[in-house]
Amino acid sequence: MENGLLGLEVSDGVQVSVAREPDQLPHRCLIRRSFLTQPRRWNRREFMMATGAAACLGAMGSRAQETPDYIVTIDACTVEASPKHVVRTVGYNGQVPGPLLRLREGRTSTIRVVNRTRSEEIVHWHGLHLPPAIDGAMEEGTPMLAPGATVQFQMTPQPAGFRWYHTHTFAGNDLRKAQYSGQHGFLYVESANEPGKYDAEHFLALHDWNGYLTGGDDGSMNPTYDISTVNGRMLGYGEPIRVKQGQRVLFHILNSSPTEVHWVALAGHTFHVIALDGNPVATPSSAAMLRLAPAERVSAWVEMNHPGVWVLGEVRKHIQASGMGAVIEYAGSSKKPAWLQPAALAWDYAQFGTADADAAIASYVEEIPLILESRFKGHGAQERWMINGKSYPDTDMPVLVQGRRYRLRFQNKSMDDHPMHLHRHTFELRELAGGKRTRGVMKDTVLVPAGAETAVEFTASNPGLSLLHCHQQNHMDMGFMMVFRYA
Amino acid sequence: MRAWLLTVLAVAGLCAVRSAMAQGNYEIQVYGSDTVPRGNTMLELHSNFTAKGQRYTVQGVYPTNHQQHETIEITQGLNDWSEVGFYIFTSEQDGHALQWVGDHIRPRVRVPDSWHWPIGVSLSTEVGYQRAVYSPDTWTWEIRPILDKSVGRWYFAVNPALERTWHGPDVGQGLGFAPGVKVSYDVNRAVSIGPEYYADYGRLGRFDSLHNQQQQIFLVTDLNVSPKWEINFGAGLGATAATDHLIVKFILGRRFSWKKPSEVE
Repeated sequence: MENGLLGLEVSDGVQVSVAREPDQLPHRCLIRRSFLTQPRRWNRREFMMATGAAACLGAMGSRAQETPDYIVTIDACTVEASPKHVVRTVGYNGQVPGPLLRLREGRTSTIRVVNRTRSEEIVHWHGLHLPPAIDGAMEEGTPMLAPGATVQFQMTPQPAGFRWYHTHTFAGNDLRKAQYSGQHGFLYVESANEPGKYDAEHFLALHDWNGYLTGGDDGSMNPTYDISTVNGRMLGYGEPIRVKQGQRVLFHILNSSPTEVHWVALAGHTFHVIALDGNPVATPSSAAMLRLAPAERVSAWVEMNHPGVWVLGEVRKHIQASGMGAVIEYAGSSKKPAWLQPAALAWDYAQFGTADADAAIASYVEEIPLILESRFKGHGAQERWMINGKSYPDTDMPVLVQGRRYRLRFQNKSMDDHPMHLHRHTFELRELAGGKRTRGVMKDTVLVPAGAETAVEFTASNPGLSLLHCHQQNHMDMGFMMVFRYA
Repeated sequence: MRAWLLTVLAVAGLCAVRSAMAQGNYEIQVYGSDTVPRGNTMLELHSNFTAKGQRYTVQGVYPTNHQQHETIEITQGLNDWSEVGFYIFTSEQDGHALQWVGDHIRPRVRVPDSWHWPIGVSLSTEVGYQRAVYSPDTWTWEIRPILDKSVGRWYFAVNPALERTWHGPDVGQGLGFAPGVKVSYDVNRAVSIGPEYYADYGRLGRFDSLHNQQQQIFLVTDLNVSPKWEINFGAGLGATAATDHLIVKFILGRRFSWKKPSEVE
């Protein structure tokens, strides 16, 4: 509580500190504690208005308790996807994607976040098992960061692996805000036994820009994009990724797109997938292309055994033509980048699972059926999304018992695929579309195909409010969320 | 492309001229701003029956009463902002069997989605011939701005068309104003209903008397059963003496893609 900082002990090793005026502490503290302790459900607009009080907290400037490991500043910036495609957006530290944050598993780290925009913001630490007070979702009780405010997080990150951080605010019909903006960055939690079996490592973010609403195949309005990028650059306008023959290059690829699934391939080469969503897979295996739904990550190495200059890019021609690609250049090669067009899309989560897919993991598993569907709101509107017939904030709030194993059975009755993301937990894929069973694939986001069922299991091991939602920005904005609470 | 397209829109507007006969009762449709995508063809059949119309032959023009008009419209998408349509008009009634009436061609451009305009905007121009026994004005030209917007369950479209006769009795009449308006409400994902209004006010700047204007209002249903199909039907009343008094219309459209569907496209 020194130096005017409000510190909230949330659990061992975790503290969030917000700059404040000393004489306002009791009132502010009361507001925040109400979010932490009461499972009240707010819709996104209500929460932003209610947390307007928090705006004052940030107006006092930043006085840190200690020197942070990283400082993340949210501010306006410009993305020059190409000389003819310049996007004015909001990013982290003036760059898109934001800086790579490398943390050590089990070691307490401090991250200071400064909001220099004129909007309330929030940063979600995607894939980490953090307390709800700092996880970065207002639906769980994380306070919004007021314009001009500074907040300092202390966290002991886990689990190890490829995570990311991004905004978690409401966009609605403003397709420049929230995940439509440049607010995303890589976060890598190094384990104590990092194998490091590679010669070079690259982090790549796939993103779509300049969205606008058009009539979609489902009869409702959906976003379409002008520009697609890899690390903020259109194909041919970023620095080539320079490699050498014989190298094993590890790619950590993130789909930070607000709404779009992407397929990527590296012409002339094969990916060897070792982790999904940052979690090592049971059966590392080769794939000609990678499919990444919004928020999904794939870690895969590539043997650089085919000298030349190649395109690593979106498999679908029209999206690659919009810019989604990067150039891979071998040392000593200077040709025009080459692309080999695949004839079909191929991706199966199950290929990374174990052979004993039917084996039970726990003696008792409680199943929670979740029916995903939409309500038509007109050809000139976005659909209203529902889980079990209700839209957030009116969705049910299932109660979890610590230590118990749960199976979430997603029954997608809609015409769209949905990347379902569970906060603060890692789940295991158990059933895929068509009834195919699997195990050993640990994730935090799973793509549930239209008209199909998918089941995942997790152990309730991290008490506190936990948000489940579709990671498509337009869907979560239209009510596609629910919150779990612990008994 | 933006400058080129704006130039096309401007030149087309300046060249707009008067036509005495609009599409008549051969194609009764308020256009939306969308164009047929590149590599796709739209085939439409317009079937319109005049249940109560002009009963007498006037100045050599056949009566419209109980005429069954069948119009085939073929529209080819050229790119993501233009198309060209071609019409074959036919008519059938007692004593005249099935008759070819005429043909029109209709290029159209629109503001591409990537311009992010808040409303849909396109511009169509149509030129063609029809036999004198069906229309005393045989060569006509039409310029049709198209504005539309979907808001929630509501859809609004306005076509303030200008027409000119190139050959026929009305060649000296100059520009005529023939607007069309559509409003519809989405009852659900598949069914939309609403009114469509069609008019021909006569010469721009010196409209005909109300008695001589054409004014029709239809109650129309659109069935959105599949992205491949277009189904639209309704009945319309003529409100003035110069208008056919009761018309039943039906549009059946099918979209064809000539490229083999590829999941990697």
